[in-house]
Order: sequence, then structure tokens, then C-alpha cells
Amino acid sequence: MLTALAPELALFALAVLVLLIGSLRRTGRGPAGWLTLAGLVATFALTFAVPEGTSLLNGSFVQDGLSLFATRLFLGSAALSVLASMTLRQAAFSRRSAEYHFAVIVSVLGMSVLASARELILLFVGFELMSIPLFLLTGFLKRDAVAPEAALKFFLVGTASSAVIVYGMSFVYGVTGSTSLAGIPAAMAEGHPLMMLGMAFLLAGLGFKIAAFPFHMWAPDTYQAASTPFVAWLSVAPKAAGFVAIIRLFVEGVGAAALIWMPAVAVLAGMTMVTGNLMAIPQQNIKRLLAYSGIAHIGYMLVGLAALSSSGVAMMLFYLVAYTFGNMGAFLVVQAVAQSEQSEGIDAYRGLAQRSPLLALAMLIFLLSLGGIPFVAGFWAKLYVFWAAIERGMYGLVFLGAIVTVVALYYYLLVARRMYIEAPERPEPVPVPGLLGAAIAVCVIGVVGMGLYPAPWVTLAMRVASTLFS
Amino acid sequence: MNGIPVLSVMTWAPFVSALIIMFFARHRPLLVRWTSLAGAGISLVASVWVYWAYDRAAAGFQFQEEFALVPSMGISYLLAIDGISALMCLLTSIIIFAGVFASWTTTQRSQEFYALLLVLVTGVYGVFTTLDLFILFLFYEIAVLPMYLLIGIWGSSGEVRPQGIFGWAMGRTGVGTKEYAAMKLTLYLLFGSAFILVGILALYVATGSQTFSFLTLESMQFDPTLQRWTFLAFYVGFGILAGIWPLHTWSPDGHASAPTAVSMLHAGVLMKLGAYGFMRLGMGLLPEAAVDWAWLVGTIGCINIVYGALSAMAQTDLKYVIAYSSVSHMGVVMLGLATLTPNGLNGAVFQMFAHGIMTGLFFAIVGLVYEKAHSRAIFQMGGFGTMMPGIATAFTIAGLSSLGLPATAGFVAEFLTFLGAWSSAYQWWLFPAVLGAFLTSVYVLRVAGQIFWGPKSADPHFHDLPDAKGPEWAALGILVFVLVLFGVVPSIAIGPVDTATGPLLMRLVGGQ
Repeated sequence: MLTALAPELALFALAVLVLLIGSLRRTGRGPAGWLTLAGLVATFALTFAVPEGTSLLNGSFVQDGLSLFATRLFLGSAALSVLASMTLRQAAFSRRSAEYHFAVIVSVLGMSVLASARELILLFVGFELMSIPLFLLTGFLKRDAVAPEAALKFFLVGTASSAVIVYGMSFVYGVTGSTSLAGIPAAMAEGHPLMMLGMAFLLAGLGFKIAAFPFHMWAPDTYQAASTPFVAWLSVAPKAAGFVAIIRLFVEGVGAAALIWMPAVAVLAGMTMVTGNLMAIPQQNIKRLLAYSGIAHIGYMLVGLAALSSSGVAMMLFYLVAYTFGNMGAFLVVQAVAQSEQSEGIDAYRGLAQRSPLLALAMLIFLLSLGGIPFVAGFWAKLYVFWAAIERGMYGLVFLGAIVTVVALYYYLLVARRMYIEAPERPEPVPVPGLLGAAIAVCVIGVVGMGLYPAPWVTLAMRVASTLFS
Repeated sequence: MNGIPVLSVMTWAPFVSALIIMFFARHRPLLVRWTSLAGAGISLVASVWVYWAYDRAAAGFQFQEEFALVPSMGISYLLAIDGISALMCLLTSIIIFAGVFASWTTTQRSQEFYALLLVLVTGVYGVFTTLDLFILFLFYEIAVLPMYLLIGIWGSSGEVRPQGIFGWAMGRTGVGTKEYAAMKLTLYLLFGSAFILVGILALYVATGSQTFSFLTLESMQFDPTLQRWTFLAFYVGFGILAGIWPLHTWSPDGHASAPTAVSMLHAGVLMKLGAYGFMRLGMGLLPEAAVDWAWLVGTIGCINIVYGALSAMAQTDLKYVIAYSSVSHMGVVMLGLATLTPNGLNGAVFQMFAHGIMTGLFFAIVGLVYEKAHSRAIFQMGGFGTMMPGIATAFTIAGLSSLGLPATAGFVAEFLTFLGAWSSAYQWWLFPAVLGAFLTSVYVLRVAGQIFWGPKSADPHFHDLPDAKGPEWAALGILVFVLVLFGVVPSIAIGPVDTATGPLLMRLVGGQ
């Protein structure tokens, strides 16, 4: 039992330890950052010791392929974010370092609980445990002009969506008479109208969490105001958590009854892809641009989900990993440039290729991956989700997706054009702090590695997804 | 064949030289040029050898190389060529070899320029040689993407701007600038590749046999409805690159803005990539749909011929004239394919080759003229024939081939296509085709007369201009030689091509 709970227990211990050390130390940055990093990496390693397929507390807490896959994604992305955030210059990040890292660890703990929850209440607790630290982290620079506003906005939207989720759960409980997720497939197959209503509420509430259209408005404002290394993680991990919850509620064990949700998810996917990509075009702030492009990527993942097949879910998980590397990498480059230029405008990238060729190349690789160009991860990700959708005969959706992919390339190329074609305003290179450079390098390796040799990741995703359909 | 994977050598030699350039030739422009020339030269030798050694009696796909890349999905590295692709590879290698000479004087960031150019050429060879649709798509992307940077960084913005309201609108939107052209071209072509990818995936899923191999897919019978839609996807996808009306507008902008070697390569070879892909995938894999849609393909081809020629007549910028003439000539290719007759198909493939060489020559000359005179405005220049007789002669030969004068390659191509059109199901296609040839002679002779053979321009800038020199002669010489050689002895091209179009036609129209 303890081995199955080991990652969660380790995270809890780590959180307490970091908070304690922080309260003992009064000056300087302190060891909280390194400690957190080491703890996250150690927990990551620990997940490999957890026996797959264990189930605790009468089946309300499971460690299966999906939960371990998701937990590793959360831990890995958090570690990258922590690595990069140690280079933040503002005084608040060193003075309140323990506070910052405590919040990150607790949030990861919430995600990891959520990924394992097979019960409505535990699922909800996981959500809240994940979300509340995120609100704090968004408004971490509390004397900043925009951060508190963004945090408030995020908080209001987040709690409203939580309320919608709880409301939906109450219907589900009313119909199934149990808080266990095990009752959902049967109730869904019966097609009780209240059950449908409840599930629709759940879909809407989770739509907020993953920032799918029309529930996406909070994302750009929040991203713009929060610190960039944190945003890199915020744009990835909570969305992955939202997708895990969707899979648990709508896909796992449901079988053919889930197909009734296919049109709804397909419409959601199409609208999200179109909105995200079109709204990204006029953006002049790179973080807002990446925020809208991130919304579009959620749409592509929903395409994989809409297939509601084993391969569709697997391809969605693959997409999630590719998106994690590509999107985090892009945000980390944004951090490097913003710190040096004091600007988050896309004009700050003018002539970057001549100033810092390697940084520009890294950004180009991330943008190409996000754009879905061959030889980097994003190509396979898009190919696979489209493939899964074509297997279900959803030609229209795939066609739409293929067209908006070209739209997306337009605004990615606008950034590439500034980096490669336009002349720099200043000749000196952009300084990249060592730790930030290391984090960027990890992302480059991830994106290129997955692009050149996607097979192991595909096999892994397939294996995880297949257990959900047995 | 002799144990040497000659197709791989041909395909990857430019790529290897691009790598050498990137890593070892920093700040050594001369080494950059010689390495590029070596890479292009190896490919040239390989392609000539393959062309010569291709066994016409045996026909079919030869020089096959294969190893499995991703066995679980049926993706393999499968290279082989037939008569059509052998000719296309020959065309590619001639153009790039001449292109390196023609851009010998590029100095701005020449290391990256040549590296990107050679990577692009690898993509082109790859598309022509590979028979695995998935790998073909990857090569296709390699051939398309470097273009954005090549035009964006080394291109030139249009100089002859319209006046009045159009001038104002163009200034506001950036139309005519190299950034605009690069973006437009890239997005159009990627838009096309999205269609191609959907088409390829649709076929892959439909077979259920887990293979992307052309050879396996070719032996399949696809459902007629699927054929119809997939054919349209391939037609639009590859057609954009082949410049079909009304999706051709990237081509004049892109070709006019691109640097010389890129214009040569793009108009000369990449547009053929579109026609080749359409022929190989669209017609080869979906024969029933190809017959069903022939009316559409041929009619749009006719529109291309006339519309492109009329647009070329209206241009005042020399480079735009040539760019629009490509649109017109690619119409001849598509028309030839749509005739579904032996002459038409042979003419179409021959036209791909002839137009490739001819337009490469044209763009090389435009580049040279611009370099000497710093102008592309047709009606400001004049009387260059006395100052640069060599360039003037080359331009005139290219022009005569363009309008289809006997003893040039252009004549053979157009004559065969016209024969095909006349014996096809839609005889009226002949009239727009012939009208196009007539219009071509109007604009070509007008330009040649104005710039080269007419009275000298009053502008003192255009006095005392030098003729071509050194490596530039090599570029012109090679292209003129090939143009005349294939015009006088067309059988060296028709022979191998015929071995490939015959079986294709059998699949299309059966024994009728």
C-alpha cells in the first residue's frame, strides 16, 4: 500500500521540508530551489518503483498506466520549470523562494492525486489542491501592476468552473447512487437524461480547466501577467490534468456508450482549433501569441479524444508530451529574451539569429514543432491525432485541422521572420543564464528526439491507452 | 547495380555538401562555392549515369533500394526510378548545377544560402526518387520549407510599382515585398501539402494493409467515391505547386522576389514536382477518378495557358513576365496530362523538362541583366544586344523555345501536347492551347525586341554594360546546349518517358 502511495507521500514530505527550511532561513535565495528540483527528480525516479495496476481504498485510488504516465509528465515539467525559475531576477523570487516552491510542489501533489482518483470526491479534492496554489503562483509578484488582477481573474474563472464541476458531479451521484467512477459506464449506457446533463456540466467545467473554446478567455491574460517559467508549466501540466480527468470520466471503461459524446467533442475540438489559431494572428505580445496557440493545441488534442478510440486517446497522450516539450521550450526562450530585452513584444526577436544563433535555432525548432513540421515532435503528434480521427471517418474535422495548421504556421513564421530575416537593432548577443540554457536544451532534445525517433513514445502511449479500453 | 546505391548518392550528395558547408566553411566563401559545386556535380554525374544506364527494354522501376524504417506502420526507405523520374532527376541536376554557377557572385551570408539551397535540392531529388508515400511527403516538405528563408533573406522586393490606388493598397499590405512573397509562397504550398497529407492518409487507411509503398498501392482497386475525393485532394495539393489557376498567384510573386538560383530551381524544378506528384499519385493510384476528372484538369490547364500568357503580356517588370510565362507553360503540362493520350502524356513530361530548362535559362538571364544594369523595368532598358551579345543570344534562344520554334525543346513538347489535345475527347482544347502559343510569341518577341535588339536606351545608366563572364558563361552554356540538344534529338527524352507513360495509360484507359 505504501509503495503505491510512495510518489504522493514523497511529494507531501518534500513540501513540508521546503516550507520548514524556508521559515528557518531569512536571507538569500536559500536551498529551496535545488531541494525542490532534487525532490521532484527523485520522485520521478520513484514512480518507476510503483507497481502498476494497484488499487487502494476500495478502488477509489489507483496507480495504473495512465496515472503513472500523467504523474511523470507533471513531475518532469515541474522540474524543468523549477530549473528555469531559479534564474528569475526579481527580489521576491529569492526572498520568498520557499513559498514559491512549496506552492509548486503542492500543486504537483494535487495533480498526481487527481490522476489516480477513481472517485468523484477525491477527483474534486485533487482539482482544488492543484488549482489553489496555481492562483497563488499567478499573483506571486503581489506588488506588480498586473499580476494580482490576472490572479483574481484566474481565481474567479477557476472557482466558477470548479462549481460547475461539482454541480455536474451531483447529478452523476444522483443517478448512479455512488461517488465511485465505476458506476458511470453503466449509467451512461442507460442514457438517463439527468446523467447526460451532469456529464455535460462536467465537460463544460473541465473545458475551463483545459481552456477549450468557449471557456478559454482566462488563459492569455493569466499567461501575460505571471512569471514566464511558471507560465511554461501552467500552459502544460494543468491542461494535462484536465485531460486525464476527461479520460477518467468519459472514456475509461465506457466503451461504445461514449460515442454519443463524439459530436460534442468534435465540435469543441473544431471551434477550439479555429478560435485559438485565428486569435493568435494579431497578437503582438509573444506570451499572448503562445497562449492562443496553446488553445489551438488543446483543440488538436481534442481531435484525438473525439475519436474515442484506443489509438485516439493514445495519440492524444503522445500529443501532450510533444506539446509539453515544444511549448515549455518556447516559453523558456521567451524568458531569456524578455529578461535581456525587457520586452515581451515579438519585435524583441528582430535579428535574433544574428545575435544569438543557438537561441534562435532553439526557438525555430520549438515553433516548427508547434507548427507540425516533419522531423520534430509536433509533426508526429498532429499526424497521429489526424490519423486516429481518419480511422473514425472524421474527414471533415481532419480537413479543418489541416487547414488551420497552415494558419498557425503563418504566425509562427512571423516570429521566425523577425528572428531570421529582419536586421537586429543591437548587435550584442542575448545572455542566457546557465540553468535556463540547460532547461531549454532538455526541451530541444525532447522535441528533436521525439521527432526523429517517435516509436518508443508511441508504444508507451498505446500501452497506456489500451488498458483504458479493456 | 554494381552495389552502389546510386539513387541515394544522387539524393544525399547535396545534403552532405550542405553539412560540410555549415560546419567547415565558415567565412570561406570560395570553399562554400566549390563544395556546392562538388555536391551538385556528384548528383549530376549520378543522374546522367542513371539516365544512360536505365534499361528501356525492361522498363518499369529500376535501381531499387529498400530498407524498412518503421516496420510497424509500413514506412520504408524505398527508392526507385522509372523513365519519367529519371528525366526529372536529370532536369534537377542540370538546373542546380547551372544555378550554382549563376549565383556565383552571391556574397551576403553565402554559407547559409548555399546550405539551404542544397538541402532544398535534396528534397527535390527525394520526391522524384522515392516510392514510399510517407517518405515522399517528408521530402516534399524539405523541398518547400527552405524557400521561406531563401526568399525572405536573399530575395528582392519588386521595383516596378503600380501607381494610384493600387500602389497605395500594395504599400499598405506589403504586396510586392520579398517578405510578403516568401510568406505567401510558403503558406500556399503548405496549404497544398495539408491536402496531400490528408489524401495519403485516406489511401493508407483505406487499404488496411499497413503500407505506404507506391508499388503495393498501385495494385489496389480503391472505392470510386474515395477515388473521386482523394483525387481532388491530390489535384489541389500538388496543383498549387504546379501553379494551377486560380491557385497560381504565389508563383509570380514568389519567383519574381526570389534570388536567381532559387527562381531557377523553383520555376524550373519545383513546379514540376507538383505536376509529377499529380501524375504519380493522382493519376497513377486513382485511375478511374483521373478519367472522371480529366475535363476539369484539362479545362483549367487551358485557362492557365491563356490567362498566364495574357498576364505576362501586361507586365512591365521583366521577372514578372518570366514568372507568368511559367504559369502559362505549366498549363500545357496539365493539359497534356488531361488528354489521356500517348502523345499528350509524352508531351506533358517533355514539356516539364523543356520548360524547366528554358525557364531556368530565363531566370539566369534576368539575374545577369539585373546584376549588370540594376533594373528589371522592361521599358527603361533598350539596345543591350550590342553590349552583351552573349546574354542577348541566350535570351533569344530561350524565347524561341518558349514560343515553340522547331529545333528547340519547346517545339517538341508543345507539338506533342497539341496532337494529344486534338485526339482527346475534348478537341476544343486545341484552340486555347494554340492561342496561348501565339500570345507567347507576342510577349516574348516584344520583350526581346525592347531590351536586346531595339534602339539603345537614352538612360546613361544603361550604356557600357559588360557581357557575362566566367562562371556565368557556364550556366548559360549548359542550359542553351541542353535546350537545343533535346530539340534536335527529342528521342533521347521520349524513349525512356514512353516506357513509363505507356503502362500508366494502360491503367487509365485500358486497352481502348
